[in-house]
Amino acid sequence: MGEEKGYLALVLHAHLPFIKHPEYPDFLEEDWFYEAMVETYIPLLNVFENLTEEGTDFRLTMTLTPPLCNMMEDPLLIERFRHYLNQRVELSQKELNRTQGTEFEGVARMYFNKFRRYQDLFEHRYHGHVLQGFKKFQDMGKLEIITCCATHGYLPLMVHKESVNAQIKIAANDYRSRFGRSPRGIWLAECAYNPGDDKFLRDEGIRFFFTESHGILHGTPRPKYGIYAPVYCPQTGVAAFARDMESAQQVWSAEAGYPGDARYREFYRDLGYDLDYDYIKPYLHSDGVRRNIGMKYHKITGKVALNQKQAYDPYAAREVAAQHAGNFMFNRQKQIEYLSTVIDRKPLVVSMYDAELYGHWWYEGIDFLEYLFKKIYYDQKDIKLITPSEYLEMYPENQAVQPSMSSWGDKGYHDVWLNSGNDWIYRHLIKSAERMMELANKFPHADGLLRRALNQLARELVLMQSSDWAFLMTTGTAKEYSTKRTKDHVKRFNELYEQIQGNRINEGYVYDLEQKDSIFQQIDYNVYSSAAKEAVLKKY
Amino acid sequence: MTQNLSSSALVHPQVKDANAEADIPSGYGKTESFLLPKDPAWLFLFWEITSSTLECVRSQYGQETLEKARTIIRLHDVTDVALFDGTNSVRFYDMPVIFEARSWYINAPESGRTYLADLGYLTEDGRFILITRSNITSVPSGRISNVVDDKWMIVEGDFQKLLQLSGADYIGLGSSERMQVLGERWKLTELTNSGAPSSWSSFKLHLDSVKTEEDEDIWLKADCEIIIYGSASKNAVVTINGQEIELKEGKFSIRQHLPTGSVVDLPIKARNAKGDKTRQVTIKALREQGK
Repeated sequence: MGEEKGYLALVLHAHLPFIKHPEYPDFLEEDWFYEAMVETYIPLLNVFENLTEEGTDFRLTMTLTPPLCNMMEDPLLIERFRHYLNQRVELSQKELNRTQGTEFEGVARMYFNKFRRYQDLFEHRYHGHVLQGFKKFQDMGKLEIITCCATHGYLPLMVHKESVNAQIKIAANDYRSRFGRSPRGIWLAECAYNPGDDKFLRDEGIRFFFTESHGILHGTPRPKYGIYAPVYCPQTGVAAFARDMESAQQVWSAEAGYPGDARYREFYRDLGYDLDYDYIKPYLHSDGVRRNIGMKYHKITGKVALNQKQAYDPYAAREVAAQHAGNFMFNRQKQIEYLSTVIDRKPLVVSMYDAELYGHWWYEGIDFLEYLFKKIYYDQKDIKLITPSEYLEMYPENQAVQPSMSSWGDKGYHDVWLNSGNDWIYRHLIKSAERMMELANKFPHADGLLRRALNQLARELVLMQSSDWAFLMTTGTAKEYSTKRTKDHVKRFNELYEQIQGNRINEGYVYDLEQKDSIFQQIDYNVYSSAAKEAVLKKY
Repeated sequence: MTQNLSSSALVHPQVKDANAEADIPSGYGKTESFLLPKDPAWLFLFWEITSSTLECVRSQYGQETLEKARTIIRLHDVTDVALFDGTNSVRFYDMPVIFEARSWYINAPESGRTYLADLGYLTEDGRFILITRSNITSVPSGRISNVVDDKWMIVEGDFQKLLQLSGADYIGLGSSERMQVLGERWKLTELTNSGAPSSWSSFKLHLDSVKTEEDEDIWLKADCEIIIYGSASKNAVVTINGQEIELKEGKFSIRQHLPTGSVVDLPIKARNAKGDKTRQVTIKALREQGK
């Protein structure tokens, strides 16, 4: 332990639902992945590369959820992303000429430089496999990659513990195959914790997870350190770290948060709508409908109409990001200084965010992080960045507290994922899980086509369980797609189930689903057996 | 079922949703029920009851007994009950329901407890005929624990300070902004207007924090929900307050919260398939708070 007064654990949760449609040459919702790649994931790697090159040490904890890892390693999606990136480079190059001598010259140059740099990293440093980049920084000890429930399944709404066990085991196995070791930590989807589920984490060697602040504040007994130290689940010794609301608000708050600064990039004014149709058409989807293409030349400006927005100045915006990073650090220093007068150990502040906030939504968020890492390393000695694993090594003794059921969703519990707009899905999710268990128990040693069918059945189930679908039904955005995805997986599940039960498995049907819903190549349907669940529960 | 009700307005899912369950099975041919936790104050129960189950009960107890009986949810508090045998719950609460609703939001009488729900008939002479029993589930306490740890002593003043620093005032807040932003993230690809039914949009899902006012000399808490249910002729189009309601086997039910100081005026209309005949029933309710 050094002279620092306390610690800051920055946690970024990177996740997208598994979206891949080989049955279409061009699919709208796949863009979510390509956009996040070029605006968040590769820019983050770029920051890590820069910091490492110049000798700035940093610590960051990041979830890379299993669906995201599966997409990052999917040959078809890699190929389609390559095309997406090439198109951005091509368009931004054309834009250099078009904007020459205009007020947009600087921002056009910025896009061209960035896209080329990201293309260079993607093609030549990582050879199309960005996970290799993340793994490199984990192996260097700077980045702690944690896993998540297999498909971001919402655990407290799973009636059968077999489903919980499977979500954890499938995720841990996927992590091992990609990062060459077991995951030490997990991000429970939506930070949704249900007392007792820690048994399934413990069984996979997972040592910690994260909760919303009241997960610990409402824990039993009262937590001595509030949320400024982790607690251990009494039966399993798995550690729970809770979210600090003060630092969360600074970034998230729509009114007072950093991302609303007038000099930052305006999200809604996009070249996809601004440029001449014939000029932009090759960069739109095949239906030719104008949509956002991810290049935006205007700043927020203020509360004015979209057509009143002023030109974006990348240098000025970067300056603001630096100031905000300084302000964030200053507030953490003050916070930790004050906390250390209230508690009798060095306080830990856990700041948790969705990774896609940085870059995709708050465009300058990436610069903010880069400056924050640098400032913390060079400009002060009060606080130190830390990962949960490092903290637990330093403080192996922690209070035993049973965390309360909670989530980080609106109102703190399950409302977002269970309300009159989406509650109809649970009939199918729970029934499908029950049928999956039934078949796993019936066929403990399947092989050949039956094994393939059972494994595919498990894939359809976990895809159906992605919490994203219920979330999107609630927010009302992409409601149609999320409803269709839920129904598609239910239909596919039921068809396969009937085929297996009727001993009439259609190989063509299985093959088709294996191509479409290709997540978790190594899945083993036996994780759904009741014996597998009992084995865990017997231990703790 | 009258104490501790928090102000939550919930619209029953039977309100017609073109997207829901159009081409996937509406049921799985088995009589069963499942109970899910929603928050410290609410549970969600859904069920399926097959016609053969009903047939079986009818032949066992007789048509007449069942016609005079009420259909209910019996919510059992089974906190710390090792093995529930149908009678040894801490206490139970009955609430009327119609089986055809197929799902129901249940107000948990007490937070931090463990529950299961039985669905069945309550006969005129007070017998309960069980149709299906749910799984067991717990709702969170939603508050700071009273249990203090001998090993990790806390100075009360420091703990209060720490609670505030930890964001106790923020619990359940702030995340809505995150949700909005994340929701926006997906908006780019949205092609069609989701067209939320406007007349229902005022019934926002909203849960006030449950606060006690035990220090005051006298206090009173009361809350109200209205359950509107009924039946109509086959092929009739039924609307409540202009909103079309889906009929299940000729029956309907919706549930609605009644906020303080509100007057609810709910015209229920039925129109035949040809559209030339209508019937109407209007339900009015008023909730006042005295001084």
